[in-house]
Amino acid sequence: MEDILVVENVTKRFGGLVANSKVTFSMKRGEILGLIGPNGAGKTTLFNVITGVYKPDEGRVIFKGEDITGKPPHVITRKGIAKTHQIVKPFNDMTVLENAMVGALFGKRAHQITIGEAKEIAYQSLELVGLAEKAEEFAVKLTLRQKKMLELARALSAEPELLLLDEVLAGLNPKEVEEALEIIKKVKEERDLSIIMIEHVMHAVMNIADRIVVLHFGWKIAEGTPEEVANNPEVITAYLGDPRYALRFVRRKGGEGDGSS
Amino acid sequence: MTGKESTLSHYLKSPTLIVIVFVVLGILIARILGMSTLDTLMTIMYFMGIALSLNIIMGFAGYVSFGHAVFLGLGGYAYVLLVYFVKPLAQLQNMGFGLGAFLVAVLAGLFAAVIAASVGAAVLRLRGAFFAIATIGLDFTALYLMKAIVPELNPEQFFGAQIILPADKIVEKDVVFNAMFLTLIILLAVNYYIRKSPFGVGLTAIKEDEDAAEVLGVPTTMFKIIAFTLAGFFAGMVGALFSLNGGGVDETLFNLGHSIDMIVMIVIGGLGTVLGPVVGSLIYFELYDLLLVHYPGVNLIILGIIVAIVVLFFPEGLIGLLRKYKVKGVRLRDLLE
Repeated sequence: MEDILVVENVTKRFGGLVANSKVTFSMKRGEILGLIGPNGAGKTTLFNVITGVYKPDEGRVIFKGEDITGKPPHVITRKGIAKTHQIVKPFNDMTVLENAMVGALFGKRAHQITIGEAKEIAYQSLELVGLAEKAEEFAVKLTLRQKKMLELARALSAEPELLLLDEVLAGLNPKEVEEALEIIKKVKEERDLSIIMIEHVMHAVMNIADRIVVLHFGWKIAEGTPEEVANNPEVITAYLGDPRYALRFVRRKGGEGDGSS
Repeated sequence: MTGKESTLSHYLKSPTLIVIVFVVLGILIARILGMSTLDTLMTIMYFMGIALSLNIIMGFAGYVSFGHAVFLGLGGYAYVLLVYFVKPLAQLQNMGFGLGAFLVAVLAGLFAAVIAASVGAAVLRLRGAFFAIATIGLDFTALYLMKAIVPELNPEQFFGAQIILPADKIVEKDVVFNAMFLTLIILLAVNYYIRKSPFGVGLTAIKEDEDAAEVLGVPTTMFKIIAFTLAGFFAGMVGALFSLNGGGVDETLFNLGHSIDMIVMIVIGGLGTVLGPVVGSLIYFELYDLLLVHYPGVNLIILGIIVAIVVLFFPEGLIGLLRKYKVKGVRLRDLLE
């Protein structure tokens, strides 16, 4: 199957800090790719490079065979990549439905759909993530879990082919994590999506991902199936810097979401 | 979810549109029956016009510009200089019961719009307080530029930056009224259209969270510049006709005070709605007059206190406040745009 996304030698520096060093990986259409690594490993930076928020200092990002490196975010969104934010960014003074409508109006079919059609698409996304009954509420009134789902619905309304999920499970309790995972699986099937997810909730990402890429201090230190990655000595060493992660890795269970970023 | 109702019945159901029509008819009736002097009506339309033009960038996109008077002034100067130096335009402005003046005002507006687009491309990179500060700078820049340039254009005639149109180049006030009235209707329609369009949704998203809007696909830079340019264009037109009405123009149009007036009107009425600037400008006009008549000397102090109270306790403005409530199960926010 064709590669939907190829990241080639991406390097991103902030002054003296190197957030991504020569990161290279590719993913197939229809895959779920887990992106893990200790805090500060450069995961969110990599998302921002892919979506065009940051321009990489070196390297290329290729989406569906097209070089999209350094294109502005709104252009990349229209090509079919949508992202949820790690720190939720709802449009507080808009209703839940209006929030999702923004995604529809400026997503894949930007400038081709009417407000009415956008409403319909937005409503379908809300139904998919279980927020339909909150459609007329103001986004500011939602709980954290609901805000995370709203991020997801907004991204889905853009009708993307590649979805980037930045810690959608963080801060949720074990039951909510399970629910969210079900929603992600359902969404993937129904929308025929490829997904990259950054996640600290290890058992979750180990369960759902087809493959995993591990970043550490900006470098890719491992790539492979969850099984391979979990048994990779370098990965274990990287996580041993933080005993909590190490333990969780060894046991490969323990469901509490890690609220930190 | 998506009831297919006719567009017309949808619009008829909108009280906003009814209020707008009411206001427009009100001005027209007051004019025909001679209930108010022409000058009072012109001032009301001028207030509404500047508030509605600023609303496009400040109300919808959330960019609080303290430099909007610049475009008011540029439009005024452009108009006066055009009819002063270009003979055909001086003749044109007297034709068609105000249509001619309207067309010359469009030219003046275009001039303001070109400046707005180029200045906007630079200052719209700034956000929040930094944008506000940069736009304050615009007021002063324009003011001193005009003071330097205008006297050079015609040293014998122009007294400082003030230009007074000779008798053969001014237009009857009722003709100016028609042109301003037409401008106001178009400005209302544009505001209403933006509120209902994907463009307006994008601008609101920018106001709420610009970074999130960009990632969701809103072309933020382009939208902001378009909004700023439109706002500048209409401010220019209003400034042009206001100056024509006054028979000339001087640099006081660039006063920071004018910019603040507009901001206050929108804040009192309600940000991001069409009705807000309309209601806000009417209230401001009445308040300003009342206080000036009854409490001369301290009128501005009282006005300032009222504005402070509004900002502290009703930051959404009058229309924003009403939008929170329900009447007989109908949410007012669906009705008040």
